[in-house]
Amino acid sequence: MAADTSKPFFPVESRHRPRQPKTLTPKSRFWRSFKSAPLSNNLILPVTSIEFSPLAPHDLAFSVSASIHLYSGSSLTPKSFSPLGSFSDVAYSPSFRCDGQLLAAGGESGLVQVFKLDKAGHAIRRLRAHSRPVHVVRYPRILDKLHLFSGGDDAFLTYWDVPSETQLLTVPGAHKDYIRAGSTSPISSEVIATGSYDHSIKVWDVRVSNSSSPVINFDHGHPVESVLFLPSGGLIATAGGNSVKIWDVIGGGRLIHTLDSHNKTVTSMCLGKIGTENGGESRIMSVSIDGYLKCFDFAALKVTHSMRYPAQLLSVGFSPSGIARVVGTSNGNVYIGKKKKKDDEKMEIVDDFSAFRPEPKEKVLRPTNFRYFHRGQNEKALQSDFVVKKPAKVKLAEHDKLLKKFRHKDALVSALNGKNPSGIVAVMEELVARKKLVKCVVNLDVDELGLLLGFLHRNATLPRYARFLMGLAKKVIELRSEDLQSSEELRVHVRNLKRMVAEEIKIQRSLQEIQGMISPLLAIAGR
Amino acid sequence: MITGGNNFVSSAPVFSNDAKKLLVCTGNTVSIFSTDTGMLVTELEGHTDLVTSVVVVPVAANARKFMCYCWTSSRDSTICYWDFAAPELVKKIKVQLPIVSMVIPHISSLSADSSEKLSNLYAFVSVEDINKPADQRKALRGQIQIYNLTNSRRVGGLLAETRRPELISMSSSGEFIGIKNKQKIYTWRIPTKEFKYDDIRRIKLHHTKKFNTLAFHPSERIIAGGDVTGRILIWRGFGKRNLSETSRKLSAGRTNNEEGNPGVRGNDDADSCSTWHWHPEAVHILFFSSDGAYLYSGGKEGVLVVWQLDTGKKRFKPRLGSPLLYYTHSPDPSLSCISCADNSIHLIKMPSMAIVKSIGGIKLPFSFPDMHKRPSSDFAFDYSSGLVALRTSDHCIQFFSLFENFEVSQVQVCERNFQPVDDPMVFVALMSLSGDGSMMSTVEVRLPEEGLGDLITLKFWARGSRVGEYNLVTVIYEPHSYAEVSALAFRSGYRMAVSTSLGGEFKVWLYYSDKQKDHQKSGWRCQSVGSYKKMPMTAAAFSADGSVLAVAAETVVTLWDPDKNALVAVIGDTFTPITTISFAGKSDYIVTLSQGSNPQLAVWDLSNLSIVWSYKLRAEAVACTEDLSQFAVLVLPEVPNGPATGDQNGIILLFDVKKPVPLATWMVKKAKKGSLAFMPPDTSRQHTDVEDADGSGIPLLVYINARIGYTSIYGELPEFDSKKDEIQEIPFVPSERPWETIFSGSSHVLPPLTKLCSAFLSSLLEKRHTTLE
Repeated sequence: MAADTSKPFFPVESRHRPRQPKTLTPKSRFWRSFKSAPLSNNLILPVTSIEFSPLAPHDLAFSVSASIHLYSGSSLTPKSFSPLGSFSDVAYSPSFRCDGQLLAAGGESGLVQVFKLDKAGHAIRRLRAHSRPVHVVRYPRILDKLHLFSGGDDAFLTYWDVPSETQLLTVPGAHKDYIRAGSTSPISSEVIATGSYDHSIKVWDVRVSNSSSPVINFDHGHPVESVLFLPSGGLIATAGGNSVKIWDVIGGGRLIHTLDSHNKTVTSMCLGKIGTENGGESRIMSVSIDGYLKCFDFAALKVTHSMRYPAQLLSVGFSPSGIARVVGTSNGNVYIGKKKKKDDEKMEIVDDFSAFRPEPKEKVLRPTNFRYFHRGQNEKALQSDFVVKKPAKVKLAEHDKLLKKFRHKDALVSALNGKNPSGIVAVMEELVARKKLVKCVVNLDVDELGLLLGFLHRNATLPRYARFLMGLAKKVIELRSEDLQSSEELRVHVRNLKRMVAEEIKIQRSLQEIQGMISPLLAIAGR
Repeated sequence: MITGGNNFVSSAPVFSNDAKKLLVCTGNTVSIFSTDTGMLVTELEGHTDLVTSVVVVPVAANARKFMCYCWTSSRDSTICYWDFAAPELVKKIKVQLPIVSMVIPHISSLSADSSEKLSNLYAFVSVEDINKPADQRKALRGQIQIYNLTNSRRVGGLLAETRRPELISMSSSGEFIGIKNKQKIYTWRIPTKEFKYDDIRRIKLHHTKKFNTLAFHPSERIIAGGDVTGRILIWRGFGKRNLSETSRKLSAGRTNNEEGNPGVRGNDDADSCSTWHWHPEAVHILFFSSDGAYLYSGGKEGVLVVWQLDTGKKRFKPRLGSPLLYYTHSPDPSLSCISCADNSIHLIKMPSMAIVKSIGGIKLPFSFPDMHKRPSSDFAFDYSSGLVALRTSDHCIQFFSLFENFEVSQVQVCERNFQPVDDPMVFVALMSLSGDGSMMSTVEVRLPEEGLGDLITLKFWARGSRVGEYNLVTVIYEPHSYAEVSALAFRSGYRMAVSTSLGGEFKVWLYYSDKQKDHQKSGWRCQSVGSYKKMPMTAAAFSADGSVLAVAAETVVTLWDPDKNALVAVIGDTFTPITTISFAGKSDYIVTLSQGSNPQLAVWDLSNLSIVWSYKLRAEAVACTEDLSQFAVLVLPEVPNGPATGDQNGIILLFDVKKPVPLATWMVKKAKKGSLAFMPPDTSRQHTDVEDADGSGIPLLVYINARIGYTSIYGELPEFDSKKDEIQEIPFVPSERPWETIFSGSSHVLPPLTKLCSAFLSSLLEKRHTTLE
């Protein structure tokens, strides 16, 4: 038999709203999965640099004041011997060796110190060459465990043999101004790029015989605050002024892209891998004095995400394991965002005997068991099964049931007792469509009228409903003026309405003022 | 000429004896539908005016397959006797006056004997006396007469005279017939044997309200009457005094216990009278079930109510979508049908009252508030599949196939149930289809109640997988910031539409689709807004190639570049605001219609921005051909005395844009609010039905009238004379060997075997005769 083609009962439907743009893009969902908390370590001085260890569990080091703080990479808690405090002055630029065993850091005094990271203690090597503060100390990123680069405000670039504390190479006057940025190449242990306040970026190779001149030299246009080799080793990102620029090193220092998404000086950059923990896409994260962290996809050359912090940002770091995002500010706060774990992977403890344990035997259900009569009821349908669906039972709201019976006033009251304003307005509009709203208003008794007036007081000025509800409020007062005067309770409602109207007039007036201010500007802009 | 879109609900349908067929009066013909498929099987053609009633001759159960005879009466003053299996006309009886209703009592007892020659068959007909003047209020124009169908003679005098002709009701046994006459019910008892005019006796039953319908109980002496206020009155034991065989004897004993007749008014002849009141509006349907246990009632509110006769308990079949008009039950007790006022017949499976099939005719026009005089917004055409779209009273849009002549689908525009009010507050005001039918836009309006809560909603729809199936894409509330929308138009070849408003602006809407984003952002959005001197915009049209948008700003036509939203040119002006604007095919001409006190039909040339020619004509609609530079207008000739009546005749004029002399003219009836369109010929059906039309790709002109009684609402009008010789006649050549074709065709179309056999044998005989010669 064919299905009955007569029409169903249509319940009242509130108006469609424009779909809210979904705030949760995959990227923002990723970033939201970081639980952010400022570290309250009563630091006042700026956090100048943040560094993650290249080896798991990716310990964290950041320099504040005259100390280097060390955090465990897995739990993000301070290590027992942290902070390293053997600095006579402000410490700068911690750098992990490629195996994560040693940490080197510069300082305001010009001394470069190398620490061993398994216990507290003084520096195991002290490298003295710079006469001015050293802001750049870099270990090579691969293979080389013996050498170290350092660059100072005296414009010296030095290549150290750490065990012997000797300078293998010193380039005096490598730049014309302070060297404030440096990055070692990810594919070669002998190459470093340095950036300086003289606007230039220079790439050095210690294997070149005439090592007093750089391999490549290009101009950023602003004092360079940060330099970053991208993972391929062929691209360099530089930050200075408000812009981040990407250069092709192999192509001879060709500018590939300029990114002007910050409003103030970009202070630091780091690389991050977002997405799944193994692999994922690389992003440049840059922070700026304007308080924004921007996430830049250098494959698609566009900004994918941005976050705002309530302070000037000086340094940024992203854990290679992808579980932590650390931002340092000028007032000493460190914001650590830790990725929320969905569920702790349960480690299955496999003991040796489990293999020999007999499997629990499945009991055969017998008619003596109650479950025997329920067997198969929870069976899921297979994919190949033909499913005969029960027609879904239509659930009608209370007001719909009353509207179906043409009990209009009861439907209105039932809707007013609900909480949902859009539902109430939908019922009212349905009553208008049936030409019954005015009659309903006339028939309301005092309590119900109070309910209606309360609803009008709460919602009549919402822009979404204002046109309809303002008219209705006026009509209600016109129709029921005698009741309103006689009842004390209703007079309170009317007073509320009056106040609401006065507020609304004030708002409208100020809006008009703003419009008056804007319209000449628009007129000028339109010209 | 093809016609279609018949009115199925002008009078009650009748089931055939085996309940497999449904005989429906459709204008001048009787259409026979199959109850299993709901499709048209055959038609009985022969009457020249509206067929008003059908009476199927009942037969014994074993002969049901073969004996398919019926009587029909018509307003052309004839009664016809048909064999509707064949189908062929057997007999025609002339009556002097137009027949409104006919019943044939005791037809079953006669045919059961299968001795048609012996006993006389009498028909009681309700006729309209057209000799008396119609405008005289007191004139008794309705008469009940008796005809002897066997020898085609009138018998006796008048049974009754009424103001206007009334429908006759008959009890299923044929013992009683009755009519309603204002606040009275007249009932006659028809004697079974030895029929004489003098033996027919009458009683009257009185009520205080006007009656609308009445019904007889199949076995007991119970009569039910429904009045205009929705009350149902049930008299039990009527006519015991005056209408029984032994009435004379009983009447003396009966008169003294007056108080024993509760509810019976005055001296009416009934035992008791009870009143049921559930219907809020007039009752149209009253019908007793065949076993007599239930009473079906229905009326304007579209709910079929089943009353248990003994207890008065009710069951309902709600939401039938339209006022109910007729209820017919079939010999099969599980099947019956309801005719609705929206020109549809629902076949209902009986105990569960579920709709099994619907036979949908073209929706009849309904009254809705016409805020502004705007022509030709009632219809939209889907040129690619030959559909016309029209609005229905229950907030749907019906798609009706012009060539196939049946309802294709209905799209629920506004999710609301039908409510039987005279002035609907919510209605679909405008609709527009893109040329290929892939997009639709509708405007629905909710009127304010004392200035509160008015709403205009613009909706865009996209066609689904099937023809006539549309899915909602975008809803836009208040598209023109509370101003009324006056016109909608689609740009052919683009996903672009324009809507104009009387608030002095038009908006161009564009379909955006954003496939890259995973969250759906596609939909229609406003691309640009334009206005011209803040004048109300009244009509809009895109040119055939879509490069020009013409918007009528009251009396001038503004031409825009739809992509850049730049005003290109202004042409004007007419005397009164333009109501319709149309591009004449691919030519550079625009046709505008304006109405009001100074109507005008004007043709404008876009190449030199000037008027070419114009007429002072009141045109209802205009249609332009797709390729040729011709257009047709539907013109209402000016009636000198007063306002035009509803049934005003019109003229269709076919023009070439360059010449003000019409190429062809046709007269049509009931042209008020009609519509015109040029349809590309339906190639798939060319060889079957349209063979008398042109076969050379000349578009068909469709004319739709919008008045009540769609007997012939659209048709391919013969093309003008110069092309007539191109029409290739495909004469039907009778075959030399009829036995080869006589059995061809599907089995349900074939005449019964008894007929076929004789034809077959006679053809064989004939052949031998020729060979002998």
